[in-house]
Amino acid sequence: MAEPILTVDNLCVTFGHGRNRNEAVKNLSYTLGKGETLAIVGESGSGKSVSSLALLGLLPRRSAEVEEGRAHYDGRDLLALSEEHLRKLRGDRLAMIFQEPMTSLNPVLTIGRQLTEGLIEHRGMSQEKADSRAVEMIDRVGLGQPRQRLKQYPHELSGGMRQRVMIAMAMATEPDILIADEPTTALDVTVQAQILDLMRELQGEFGTSIILITHDMGVVAEMADRVVVMNKGRKVEEGRVEAIFARPAEAYTQRLLAAVPRLGGYATQPTPRTVVPEPVPVDHATSVVDARGLTKRFGGAGLLARFGIGDRGVTAMDDVGFTLAAGETLAIVGESGSGKSTTGRAVLRLIEVDKGEINIDGRDVRKLGPAGLRQARREMQMIFQDPFASLNPRISVGDIVAEPMVIHGLAKGRELKDRVEALFHRVGLTSDQIRRYPHEFSGGQRQRVCIARALAVNPKLIVADEPTSALDVSVQAQVLELLLELQQSLGLAYLFISHDMAVVEEMAHRVAVMQQGRIVEMGPRAAVLNDPRHIYTKTLLAAVPIPDPTRQRGALPKLDTTTMPRGPLAEAAPGHLVAA
Amino acid sequence: MLRFIAQRLFAAAITIWIATIAVTLLIHLVPGDPVQIMYATFQSTPEQIEATRTALGLDQPIHIQYFMYLGRLLEGDLGRTIVGNQPVLDVLLARFPATLLLTTASLAIAVIVGMSLGFFAALHRGTALDVGAMLIAIVGVSMPHFWLGLILLFFFALQLGWFPVAGSDLRSLILPALTLGLANAAVLARLTRSAMIDIFDQDFVRTAHAKGLPRTLVLYRHALRAGLVPIVALLGFQFAYLMGGAIVVENVFAWNGVGRLAIEAVFARDYPLIQGFILFFATIVVCVSVIIDVAYAFLDPRIRYG
Amino acid sequence: MAAQVEPVSASAADLGTGSFWWALVKSPSGAIGLVIVAVLVIAAIGAPWIAPFDPLRMAAGPRLQPPTLTHWFGTDDFGRDLFSRIVHGARLTLMIGTIAVGISLTAGLLLGLIAGYAAGWTERVLMRLVDVLFSFTEIVIALACLAILGVGLTNAMIAIGIASIPFYARITHSVVLVERSKPYFEAAVAGGAGHLRLIFRHLLPNVVPTLIVVGTLGISTAVLAAAGLSFLGLGAQPPQPEWGFMLSSSRDLISRAPWMMFFPGIAIAVTVLGFNLLGDGIREVLDPRQRQR
Repeated sequence: MAEPILTVDNLCVTFGHGRNRNEAVKNLSYTLGKGETLAIVGESGSGKSVSSLALLGLLPRRSAEVEEGRAHYDGRDLLALSEEHLRKLRGDRLAMIFQEPMTSLNPVLTIGRQLTEGLIEHRGMSQEKADSRAVEMIDRVGLGQPRQRLKQYPHELSGGMRQRVMIAMAMATEPDILIADEPTTALDVTVQAQILDLMRELQGEFGTSIILITHDMGVVAEMADRVVVMNKGRKVEEGRVEAIFARPAEAYTQRLLAAVPRLGGYATQPTPRTVVPEPVPVDHATSVVDARGLTKRFGGAGLLARFGIGDRGVTAMDDVGFTLAAGETLAIVGESGSGKSTTGRAVLRLIEVDKGEINIDGRDVRKLGPAGLRQARREMQMIFQDPFASLNPRISVGDIVAEPMVIHGLAKGRELKDRVEALFHRVGLTSDQIRRYPHEFSGGQRQRVCIARALAVNPKLIVADEPTSALDVSVQAQVLELLLELQQSLGLAYLFISHDMAVVEEMAHRVAVMQQGRIVEMGPRAAVLNDPRHIYTKTLLAAVPIPDPTRQRGALPKLDTTTMPRGPLAEAAPGHLVAA
Repeated sequence: MLRFIAQRLFAAAITIWIATIAVTLLIHLVPGDPVQIMYATFQSTPEQIEATRTALGLDQPIHIQYFMYLGRLLEGDLGRTIVGNQPVLDVLLARFPATLLLTTASLAIAVIVGMSLGFFAALHRGTALDVGAMLIAIVGVSMPHFWLGLILLFFFALQLGWFPVAGSDLRSLILPALTLGLANAAVLARLTRSAMIDIFDQDFVRTAHAKGLPRTLVLYRHALRAGLVPIVALLGFQFAYLMGGAIVVENVFAWNGVGRLAIEAVFARDYPLIQGFILFFATIVVCVSVIIDVAYAFLDPRIRYG
Repeated sequence: MAAQVEPVSASAADLGTGSFWWALVKSPSGAIGLVIVAVLVIAAIGAPWIAPFDPLRMAAGPRLQPPTLTHWFGTDDFGRDLFSRIVHGARLTLMIGTIAVGISLTAGLLLGLIAGYAAGWTERVLMRLVDVLFSFTEIVIALACLAILGVGLTNAMIAIGIASIPFYARITHSVVLVERSKPYFEAAVAGGAGHLRLIFRHLLPNVVPTLIVVGTLGISTAVLAAAGLSFLGLGAQPPQPEWGFMLSSSRDLISRAPWMMFFPGIAIAVTVLGFNLLGDGIREVLDPRQRQR
């Protein structure tokens, strides 16, 4: 191991007092070597962020207290330094970047100002010198037009661009240590790959030691030299990245690794894995969904837009069409702005499309009146991404699950109670939980309630909009397994929306890739995942971090979204359609 | 930004237009015969009553009435008061400036005292200073401002004799302005504190700290500057509220603004004057709102550079 | 006018009634507010038994007498006992506050719910009207109502009620907007729920916590407004023992009888303070996020 630059010894951080006391970090010790990348991994509540904020003295003074511990850096104990001394190190020798690029920059100050103020403060540079250094850094992080950037405001840049600015700000003083707290979690996977590449480049150039905080094992495998695993405030395991992945010593680490969906594991299989003894096969003869020519545009300045003046709005769906058979899962993959969520809602007519046909079970639901639509809604249900906002906080979960049955008059009284209870058991919850309220459940449990609600009317189709993105990795795996099990016992069709290729690989029979409102590739899973034909799909697949430190992610193809083919879909191989 | 300003001007115009409609309808909501009621406390001849009825167009269908009113409005004719038979416009113009002066002075006091207090409290959030400041604020918010006026009158004018009890010069402005200003300062203190605490919790403030910037720099260049945006947005509403408060305070201090006029008009059911007053009031409020909105557009780069 | 109120997060712990009251008592503002309001209610209900004299009886004591052991708050220019008048005034005050808020809350709630739920043109038109009314400011609307209806305490109550409708409509509307965009609402739509169910089972219960806070704070605003109108002579008429009116009668007698100005003002201030603290306390209990402030 390289010579240590930071040694953390027995760090303990608590929040609150008396009954509200919460030990966020307990007896944490680790070492960071010079020039190396140390990943601190854990799920939410593990204390990974808190420990790093404590090092830099950024914890809220009123509620948090560093009770014990030492952090040796450059011959000093960071935790014992006065605020004034620590402040001089922060932003100069010790830098930090955060998770949310959209809110981490001050919206009322120019990029230039925010880039240069640190240099002026710590290095005593004049405004001109600081400006030139800022221009250098903007160039270095791959943002074009550096001179103009200085005068721009954050709202003029995208998320990925803002994160590059954050990196430029952090690296401008060539710090010894960079702490990156989930730097790419909020970014699309292709942008994530670019940012991670950038961080590695800069590390190589400046010799910075990086503490990378993340929950994504793929990112860990790609970036880290050594790993510290945390759970509920304690360190569970520490070691070289290859050792941790190949031979995890602790049970928690093993569970964590086992739960991570790995891209490539099932890719060659024609169907997702079977989880029940006698699965209901896909019935290609029965078409549950047959969508054609769906188009939807949002926004635009009302009347003026019709005359071509002013804001023309956003195209969410552009001539989208697909089919879905009974018992089958069609996964719609895409990054933010691809229109995949809009598509899911459009199928259920939660949003009205401008043009197109949506045939559910043979009938065009667009043509239905209120009564017909209500009938049709028995055939299709939805589960959402945010488990916390998906349940009405004022109604008991039992009533929530019962409501669809009540609305459609499917059961009453005793029978209703029995059916609710059966549904709860079906999704892995217990009878005594029926009368509780949503806030008493965890994220994973709430998602199960949502699934129970969706199943209540015995639908043929369930649209699942990123159902596991907001859940911890270990819980994700359980929910996905439940969904697979339900599909294979009940013959449900899923329209599964996701941005996570690994999850798609686990669930899908067929895959459709969307970009900016258009489907650019669609076909059987084996075809799209193993033999992608469209450059966007290739980029998406290449960008996914592989949770295996011995394998390198392939180089990203040079993708220009404005020039890539977006025409009508043509058949490149049986069932495999690619935009021309 | 131009689009933003255009939208605001358009909305302002619509508001004023609807105000004219509402004001015309006002008379018709009166149970009974409005003209009789207007003259109830006067000696008048049936000819006078009929003349007024014709002049106000009350014998015509309502849409004709409205166009008549609108037409006269555009010529600057707001009708004549029942009491004293004077041109409404002249009467209002004579008194509104005093009210505007009082309102502006009060706003200045409220902003200086209230925002400093709120900012100070937010800065020392959770400490005794914060609790103390907010205690003062909540007491201030609970006190009726006319009562505060009476107390100030009692101490400073009557007991100590520092200020006159009534009058219309600058010296007599001080007590009423202090009354209205301090009462409103309490409200602003709470709002400012809330807005600043929100800002302090923002990610970009954490970023500024992480860069090792000195605390004062983070406070003024980052937090305060960003906080100005929501706070300025509040000020437009405060001005309207203060103008309303001025109506009451003027009565405590016999300040010769439009407030006393309005009260007398309501008592006397002097409808032309009431109509004119409402229209005037609404127009001023709307104009000030637009000015504040434009200031807001300047301060927020997201609007300024779209 | 109550300060801008943020919608209360409905995802806070849904407390049962028992634990709600307990939590309220534990918070400092809630406790003090509760005590003050309780005292007020007792005074209002028990006025005939608590007040030593008949509030309307003139020459109950010598005129313009400062506070003594018989007349705790002194007497006014007609020789009426001030303490009795103030205690009876509590009844008027509570009545005004609650009825005025009742009117504005109900109407504002309906407006905001309909506008927020219907969306589209209905929403735009309704909220534009609300905005216009809002820009007149409450006092002007109240004056306009009084001009139409005539002066008097009941009319003042109605006027204040009407004047505050835009405020409650706006708050309801903004909460509905937030709730309408949450997935549980979409899920209910997907489940086939009809309009009534969506409005009353899903939207309304999530609007109520915010409205409870706002309504409580609104009572204090209504009390202040009513006192103000009575002070101007537009509300309570002689000889009603309404506090604002009592303040206006004290104006010309300030130097001779400062207690006439002092006590009614304190009564108003304490009442308003009580409801403000109670409202703040309720907000703290219903929305734990606010607790750190």
